[in-house]
Order: sequence, then C-alpha cells, then structure tokens
Amino acid sequence: MTYADWFREDRLPHIYCVGCGNGTVINCTLSAVDQMGWEKEETVFVSGIGCSSRAPGYIVTDSLHTTHGRAIAFATGIKMANPDLRVIVFTGDGDLAAIGGNHFIHACRRNIDLTVVCMNNMIYGMTGGQGSPTTPPGALSTTTPYGSGEAAFDLCGLAAAAGANYVARYTSYHVKELTRAVRGGLENPGFSFIEALVQCPTNYGRRNKFRQVMDQIEYFKSHALLVQKADRMREEGKKIPDDMIIIGILARRNRPALGVRK
Amino acid sequence: MRLVIDERRCKGCNLCTLVCPYRIFRPGTTANRRGVIVPELDRPERCANCRLQRLYGRTLCGVCQMICPDQAISWEEEGACEPVKVAIEY
Repeated sequence: MTYADWFREDRLPHIYCVGCGNGTVINCTLSAVDQMGWEKEETVFVSGIGCSSRAPGYIVTDSLHTTHGRAIAFATGIKMANPDLRVIVFTGDGDLAAIGGNHFIHACRRNIDLTVVCMNNMIYGMTGGQGSPTTPPGALSTTTPYGSGEAAFDLCGLAAAAGANYVARYTSYHVKELTRAVRGGLENPGFSFIEALVQCPTNYGRRNKFRQVMDQIEYFKSHALLVQKADRMREEGKKIPDDMIIIGILARRNRPALGVRK
Repeated sequence: MRLVIDERRCKGCNLCTLVCPYRIFRPGTTANRRGVIVPELDRPERCANCRLQRLYGRTLCGVCQMICPDQAISWEEEGACEPVKVAIEY
C-alpha cells in the first residue's frame, strides 16, 4: 500500500492554487500515516476552515470539516468518545493561532493524544490575503499595506511552553524530514504539534517579492536553520539572523497523556 | 518502472524541476489542451527509482512525487522491452 491509496481519486485534482504547498503537506502526512500501517476505518481527519482545512475532503477516511478554529475541540471530543480512533487534525495558521488559539493551548495543556499538522502559510489565503498572527514583520498583505508592524507568533514555542509532548517545525521544501517528523508525532503518545511552513504564491508570494513558486521554496531552502546548529551557534556566541527559520524537532517529552487507553 | 506525469492533474508549478537530483524535469514550452504548461521529461530512464525500485523493494528517492502538490507524478509498470544501453551521470 502506498500513500496514494488514501486519496479520493474522484475528487482530484484539488482546488488549491498552482504551486500551493498544502498538497505537499498532505502527501507527507499521508505517507507517514501509511508507514504506520493504520487502517482507514480507525483513522479520523479533522479540520476547521481555510485552505488547509479542505484537505480531509480529499482523503478516503472518515473526516470532520468543522467550524472556524474549533477543529481541536471537535477532535478532543472524538478522542474522548472513542480512544481507539487515531485522530489527526489539519489546520491552518489563521484557524489555529488566531481564532482557535485558546483551544490550541488548552489541548497542549491537557496533552490529548492528537496529532496536529499546521500548514502555516503566514497569511489568510482563502479570504484574499489578510494579515494573520503569523505574518512576519514587514510583510505586505491586504490589511498591512505598509508592511506588518507586529511581531509574528511562534507557534512551536507556544506549543512547547503550553506542554505539548512533541513539537516539530519543517517547511514544504523538506519533504523527507517533514514525513519523518509527522511519523514521530503519530508514534508519540500525547499532543503532537507539527508546524509546516508552506508557500502561498497567490496571496503571500506575489505581494512579497516571491513572484514565482520556486522563489519562496528557495527562500525556505536558504533560510532554514536546523535547531541543533542554532543551539551550537548560540553556545559559540554567534548571532542568529532574525529572518532564519529554525527547523527540526523542537520538543520531545513524556508527560502523561489524556485519551490513551491504560 | 517508468516515470510519468499525469497531465490531468498537473497544474504546471514546476516544483519538480527544482528538486530532482538528476534534473530530469525541465520547464515545458507548449501548453496542453487545458492550457497548462506541463514539465517535460529529459531522459527519464536516468531516474534512480525507475531503475532500482524493484531491486531494493522500496521507493528510493521519490522527492518529486512527495513535493508535487497535485499528486501528478508516479511510476508505472512497463511491459517487456528490449535492453538499451543507458549512460548514467553521477
């Protein structure tokens, strides 16, 4: 069996724009699920509202397309009702960080046995490119036409501080590493949070000097810094440039998890 | 095994041209019936996965397949064919 068996062939091609990274993240997640050897009947995909949240509609398993920001709340309900189900949440940055922020931190605090894959495109892509909490400082969007003046949200730092068992960040360029990170999250009991930075050529890239799809992927490639190297640079007293994206497995611990059968 | 691009799914983002270590994918030149400029394959028999997937029993590189946002790249079985000499670049 390959990851392609998990797609609903009749629904493809999907509605994502040309070069959207969400499709890549779906590939990586399904590949990791496939490597785990799970049955389609015991896996549930949950999502909220947004570009990323259309993903479960292309997957053959049971899925829930829920209200904006409440994907984790619905997933908690599924997990508590039937702890035998494997629950995976697809969510976007506007869904998770903006409107569902409290659900997110409390799911981390409770340490429910979920795997949350956040496709962070740094903008509200579906509604026309408004600035989101993760829009980097200085980036242009329709609501920040002179450049975003606010600091961006560090979702991985938030999850690790709130008590998630497994926190990782990769980009849509690092497909093999992302697959491995999602697999680690699926294996790990407790709340696993994987942030995948994705390119949004339609609404983010064209306003921020990434005219081609490849430009933003090249940016991810050149600005990614592995967490071990970042730690080493800090020890040596070197300064890490502000625009670097720290990737890798950022937290892995063994707090008692909720929703796991004893 | 043979590398194929599904023209019904490809949207022409050219991400595959960026990641292939053998540079098998090249940006296309002509639009197809749907108006999508699908990448061209430059000697696809050089692909490591095409040659060695059967021998190793697993997908070897597969980065193009994973990064393709539209699930358009796959390997399909080939029928019987006469052996041809292939120059492999390292």
